[in-house]
Amino acid sequence: MDLVLLQSWMDNISFATLFVTMLVYWVGAAFPRIPYLAALGTAGMAIANLCIATLLGARWLEGGYFPISNLYESLFFLTWGLTTVHLVAENMSRSRLVGTVTAPVAMSIAAFAALTLPDDMQVSEPLVPALKSNWLMMHVSVMMISYATLMVGSLLAIAFLVATRGQNIELHGSSIGTGSFRHRNGKVTPSNGAASTLDLEPAIVESPYPAAESNGSTGTALLDRVSLSVLKTTSPAAAPLSPQRLSLAETLDNISYRIIGLGFPLLTIGIIAGAVWANEAWGTYWSWDPKETWAFITWLVFAAYLHARITRGWQGRRPALLAAAGFVVVWVCYLGVNLLGKGLHSYGWFL
Amino acid sequence: MTVDNSLNSANLFSISYRFLRRDVLPLLADLRLAIVLLLAIAVFSMTGTVIEQGQSLEFYQSNYPEDPALFGFLSWKVLLWIGLDHVYRTWWFLGLLILFGSSLTACTFTRQFPALKAARNWKFYTQPRQFEKLALSSELETGNLETLSQILQQKSYRVFVEDNALYARKGIVGRIGPIVVHASMLLILAGAIWGSMTGIVAQHMIPSGATIQINNIVEAGAWSSRNIFNDWSLKVNRFWIDYTPEGAIDQFYSDLSILDKQGEEIDRQTIYVNKPLRYKGTVLYQTDWSIAGVRVKVNNSPIFQLPMVPLDTQGKGRLWGTWVPTKPDMSEGISLIAQDLQGTLLVYDKEGALSDSVRSGGETEVNGVTLKVLDIIGSTGLQIKVDPGIPMVYAGFGLLMISALMSYVSHSQIWALQKDGKFYIGGRTNRAQVAFEREAIEILDRLESNNSLPTKV
Repeated sequence: MDLVLLQSWMDNISFATLFVTMLVYWVGAAFPRIPYLAALGTAGMAIANLCIATLLGARWLEGGYFPISNLYESLFFLTWGLTTVHLVAENMSRSRLVGTVTAPVAMSIAAFAALTLPDDMQVSEPLVPALKSNWLMMHVSVMMISYATLMVGSLLAIAFLVATRGQNIELHGSSIGTGSFRHRNGKVTPSNGAASTLDLEPAIVESPYPAAESNGSTGTALLDRVSLSVLKTTSPAAAPLSPQRLSLAETLDNISYRIIGLGFPLLTIGIIAGAVWANEAWGTYWSWDPKETWAFITWLVFAAYLHARITRGWQGRRPALLAAAGFVVVWVCYLGVNLLGKGLHSYGWFL
Repeated sequence: MTVDNSLNSANLFSISYRFLRRDVLPLLADLRLAIVLLLAIAVFSMTGTVIEQGQSLEFYQSNYPEDPALFGFLSWKVLLWIGLDHVYRTWWFLGLLILFGSSLTACTFTRQFPALKAARNWKFYTQPRQFEKLALSSELETGNLETLSQILQQKSYRVFVEDNALYARKGIVGRIGPIVVHASMLLILAGAIWGSMTGIVAQHMIPSGATIQINNIVEAGAWSSRNIFNDWSLKVNRFWIDYTPEGAIDQFYSDLSILDKQGEEIDRQTIYVNKPLRYKGTVLYQTDWSIAGVRVKVNNSPIFQLPMVPLDTQGKGRLWGTWVPTKPDMSEGISLIAQDLQGTLLVYDKEGALSDSVRSGGETEVNGVTLKVLDIIGSTGLQIKVDPGIPMVYAGFGLLMISALMSYVSHSQIWALQKDGKFYIGGRTNRAQVAFEREAIEILDRLESNNSLPTKV
């Protein structure tokens, strides 16, 4: 089979699929009552994921080395990572909102790689001596997957910020466990006293304990919770104890935290793999090369995010703002440093 | 007025201890300080990637003029005074890193250990009101500790039952993870400091066939021993480059021997980029190369080995050249130019015009003589390094990777109580709220479906 032809088919198909998938997610978010859209979105992401895997597999066969050595391959590997982490996050949250933020980003990257990048930058090239090592696969693939994971986590934080704009939210999930306790005094009341204006469906409920227990409506889970806890404090004997469910915003926030929590150890492992490789190849595990430094900066920003979540008084939207800033930092680390064209990591790159 | 000196110093000690304990420790352990430190290190690290590091004075003078100063203040004088030309080696950046290390240590003792202790010293809930504070708690009409215990064990909880109360937990490893993360970062910091104090870096450019004593030390830590290289010498048996069919460099190779004081070979290895040679804590890396010389014969002369020197190309590629006399009084000669080790030399005659190109092993007629090129001799650029901090740093790396993954695990706890004809159940987790909520609801569903079938005993 003609591997080059297969590749050119696969990169266009994956771009087209991602484009359609993005529209499906957006229409689904705007009109939550249309059936099958959520399943269609998930299917689109899965198809794009498989197409990109085929594309990269074909290049691996053709080039004979792990296909992550130039910008084109690396962009598609990133998109593959994004679609994979998207599927994980969607499965964790059972919310189709995830796709409204991840699909456009995945689509844009695939579009840039398949359409904008000049043809001579798309061809597979032999590796320079410094990259001829098994560490290449270990270091670069883990780094790329961690970038993808952190990007999805940051995008969910951005979605959380959009969904809760103008509200004062208490956070759930942090290593000391500040969440998990019953709200009593209206801590989650929107600060302006108004309900969330977003008309989005909450996470899929599959149990006899609906999120909105007191009035059974959807969309204003935050207010429902408050009315529930007010009921509790005023007449404790009247209502039996029943589980207090997470709202949509809390679900988004917690999934964002979990995904970043997964990306952070991956980033750690990727940086360490790079450090060990550098030490084995050049005799120094840390040389403050711009790419290294930016990976360290990314690590610091997300470490600050993880610590902000457990700091009293800093919870709420502030950690999410840090995570959203992390999205920019990951991009600077991934591409921005190469625009400077300095340091060890400018091998086989562009500009 | 006289003061009792011994009393005074004891007092001073206890006062300063109290001051450290009461005022400094809580400040160091404050999470807000940790976050500010993390972000400050991030911001200062950024400046080092934007401002060119380690350039000459003239460079900063021309790029950061005093008038107009960048952002109104960043002239070259300010830049050099702060040390922004070598950010990562300034006292204040290293100070920040040490403060960060202290904050890590303080936090481990004042926060993480107590949190782990609290997680290990769990209690049964014996009062229904204890369940009210948990978000995920429920009150069932009937319930069975035995059934719950089975369900929880299936979900790999560790279950403890006493009388009519139950406690179950899983993922305590997620409480240990962060402690090990902090400890391994301290280990890496300590290893880096130890390495910089005791390490040595040397560099040599050695022609093929030469034997040298390592002595060109470019960096040495304050506590390093410089005579570590005295007991042995290094021989470069051969240096060569493999080229791809297109002429691009495939790989650099150096065939190296370690010789003892008597010149006997102790070890012999061929190194290349990504595969260094290790000998007694010294590591030799392939980092650079050059052309050392050329071996030629003019007519029937003996073999001359002439050194080749790098030519100034103003940054446009690398060239090496040499001059071969073709008359015994050296009044005429030819120039040989090489650009790589692929074996081709360009030959320029006495007028400086390009006469021919010749491959090693071949010959050419120039200036009325026959020039035979036997061989082009390459030299290998080696980086020689001793870093006693590496074992510590690597141990820290290993622990950090494992503990960072451990820290992903969510520590989940579930309590249950059978009292006054009612069944209370509640639980909480510290990280995976969404996944735990799903699990808790599923457990409740299974408990209720069991209860609703009273006939099935």
